[in-house]
Amino acid sequence: MALTQVSSNRCAGGFQKVFEHESTELKCKMKFAVYLPPKAETDKCPVMYWLSGLTCTEQNFITKAGSQVPAAEHGLIVVAPDTSPRGCNIEGEDENWDFGTGAGFYVNATQDPWKTNYRMYSYITEELPKLINANFPTDPDKMSISGHSMGGHGALICALKNPGKYKAVSAFAPICNPMQCPWGQKAFSGYLGPDRSAWEAYDATVLAAAYCGPQLDVLIDQGRDDQFLSASQLLPDNLIAVCSEKKVPVVFRLQPVSSNTRLLTDQHDSCMLGKAPPGDMWSSGFVFIRVIALFFLYGLV
Amino acid sequence: MDLHDIRGGRLDVITEEAEELSRESTNMADGGLRAARGVSTFQRFSVDTDESLCFEPCEDGLPSPIGAERGLHGDVFEVAEAESDGVTIRKQLQGKVTEMENFASHLEEIFLTVEENFGRQEQHLEQHYNDVLQTLSQRCDDRAAGLEEEKKGKLEALYKQLLACGQAMDVSKELIETAQEVYRCPDERLFLKVSQALLPCASVSLEFNTPLANLPDVKTMMDSINIVPAPSAPVINPQTPNSATQTSLRVCWSLFSDDTVEYYELYYRPVLEDTPADSTLPSPPVIKQRECASCPEAALIRWESGNTDPVDSYTVELRETGTVAVPTCQCLIQLQAGRRYLICVRAVNIGGPSSRSEVISVSTTGTLFSLLEDTAHPCLCISEDGFTIFYGEEELPISAMALEDNNAFTRCVAVLGGLIPVRGRHYWEVEVDDGTEFRIGVASEDTERNSYLGANNTSWCMRHILTPARHKYEFLHNGWSPDLRITVNPVRIGVALDYERGTLSFFNVALEQHLHTFQCHFQNHVQPCFGLDNPGALTVHTGIEAPKYAFA
Repeated sequence: MALTQVSSNRCAGGFQKVFEHESTELKCKMKFAVYLPPKAETDKCPVMYWLSGLTCTEQNFITKAGSQVPAAEHGLIVVAPDTSPRGCNIEGEDENWDFGTGAGFYVNATQDPWKTNYRMYSYITEELPKLINANFPTDPDKMSISGHSMGGHGALICALKNPGKYKAVSAFAPICNPMQCPWGQKAFSGYLGPDRSAWEAYDATVLAAAYCGPQLDVLIDQGRDDQFLSASQLLPDNLIAVCSEKKVPVVFRLQPVSSNTRLLTDQHDSCMLGKAPPGDMWSSGFVFIRVIALFFLYGLV
Repeated sequence: MDLHDIRGGRLDVITEEAEELSRESTNMADGGLRAARGVSTFQRFSVDTDESLCFEPCEDGLPSPIGAERGLHGDVFEVAEAESDGVTIRKQLQGKVTEMENFASHLEEIFLTVEENFGRQEQHLEQHYNDVLQTLSQRCDDRAAGLEEEKKGKLEALYKQLLACGQAMDVSKELIETAQEVYRCPDERLFLKVSQALLPCASVSLEFNTPLANLPDVKTMMDSINIVPAPSAPVINPQTPNSATQTSLRVCWSLFSDDTVEYYELYYRPVLEDTPADSTLPSPPVIKQRECASCPEAALIRWESGNTDPVDSYTVELRETGTVAVPTCQCLIQLQAGRRYLICVRAVNIGGPSSRSEVISVSTTGTLFSLLEDTAHPCLCISEDGFTIFYGEEELPISAMALEDNNAFTRCVAVLGGLIPVRGRHYWEVEVDDGTEFRIGVASEDTERNSYLGANNTSWCMRHILTPARHKYEFLHNGWSPDLRITVNPVRIGVALDYERGTLSFFNVALEQHLHTFQCHFQNHVQPCFGLDNPGALTVHTGIEAPKYAFA
């Protein structure tokens, strides 16, 4: 599959690149960002897939998170795809910020007019890894996945539905139980139809209850004062309850942070890096560093 | 009208005297008023009651001069009665006042008597101790004088002997000269005659026995009178650890005087390994295995002297690496990781080294330490092997708890571990039950013993709390913990301490799951700490090689 380089920037000793390609699953041109650390020039590197949240593109994470520095340090390739197919000219795709464009919810849609293009689940779990492994110096056995909000939901379901595929999984303020929250209900009914049993295949809480496979180790960070937490969009307690019962290892950390987009680390954990300037989730690059460190722990590096 | 209560019991003691005194004082106070009335106005107080003072009204009924003083006329009886009441009351009040004054003066007397008595006692004591001190100093002086005299006597005797020696030498010299002259004399017969006469003299003088042992000292003393005094002996510093190799040795010494020194002479001789058993040789020390600790870079060896007499120094021997000399009963040796060393200790004094102590084996794989039993809370029991702690349900006797000047935890049921004081990486594991409420982590050596682990800024710990609803986990430092949920309860927890990075991490060993990391620059050395918040047990596992993920 042909990749077209859209941009390339030297960053932290490596390269932050953006590529475009013709996607077979999504049937449109898709962009994705990939960071190549210095180690990639000589060795195969583990890969981390970062799934962004509602309204994001491949740009948000790479410009705001500051993830290149820890990725370079640990020799990680970081892939940040887009959040939905683009330019498909589907009626109604741009009407809502939480459904359609920029809100693919990482499912394979079964309903018209979405089912042709909105196959983000297969894109993320099959097409993209094949593409990445074919074009970049990756260690195909060492993959991990992470994401924020809707992307957190995506990361969790990809890991739960593919036991053993990902060495590590983590999420920031993920949507844990989409079947029970307004966002999920809106998206699933649109993409998957009214039959709720079809929704279960894409709900992390339901999947965790039925999970059997190699042991997972899930790390979830959640801002305490996140407006979407209090609006019952995220529902982490449901996931924790199920994981406690089914003995799925999860470490869930409630951070003293004021909004969904401002997931700062607490003082106790972010020693050398100091405090991040307020205003943006992407200053959770600090948190990202911890996540990277965890991937290191899990033997990815 | 009742007067204020005064405890009858107290006044009892002095009532009699009070009565006596008050008789006189009232006489004086009232200006003779009561003299006319007599002394029956005071009532006896009972011993056991707190009755307030009760007074019977005066029974004499003489017309009151008070009334007369006030100049009231009219109904004499009425006024007299009223006035006599007033007078009675006044009398009573005055009586009370007098009593109290008496009481006060009595107390003062008692006070003075007590002061006097104690003064006297103090004097006695001082005197007594002065006597003792005097006696002692006198004895000391006597003894010193005795020694002085002995010294003088001996010196004089030696001097005399020396003189006698000198004289004998002179005589001998003369004899030799005479003999030589005689020998030179051509007359052989004369020579024989004279020599025969000389011989007995020579023999007499030769029989003179000089105590050779004393001479060199005395000679030195005599010599030193005329010449520049020899400098005082330098003092060799105790050998520092790691100052010796198998072929070289570093010796340091100091001179503690202002003597001029031209040069030093260093004398040495090898000490033979297998010297025959000499009573002056020290006994071998005994290594205290429980108090030894190790980590991949070093081992801390502690031992008991094994000698009642003082010992000059100790030698710690490692197979392969040669010897290191040590002045105290412990030694920190730098080692290489991942090896096994056999270590023994010898005690050394002037007589030579003792035989080897029993050998211990130290493995520089992982970090090894034992629990410091003197830090354990009284309610904490430690198993025989020293690695499991129990918090029982039984109440301990108060006597066990009320210990002062103690190193033990007094509130938190906890104990510290004796981690080797090396600022490297250390890893250990703790095994718990699902229902054990524990606190595990590290604390500085001087962490407050009356505080709970994690509640102050000198301890960092993971805490497990069991609520009816769920298991709760906290990572406490300075009373604060992040808000965490853990879905699978760890029963074997790995603790990884990295001084350089300033991290303390906790893992669920079974899942190889990272739980939490404290970031803190540990300025002082810290000790592992283990505490139980409810009856239960936990086991410490040391000497484990840290898994890769622990210090990733």
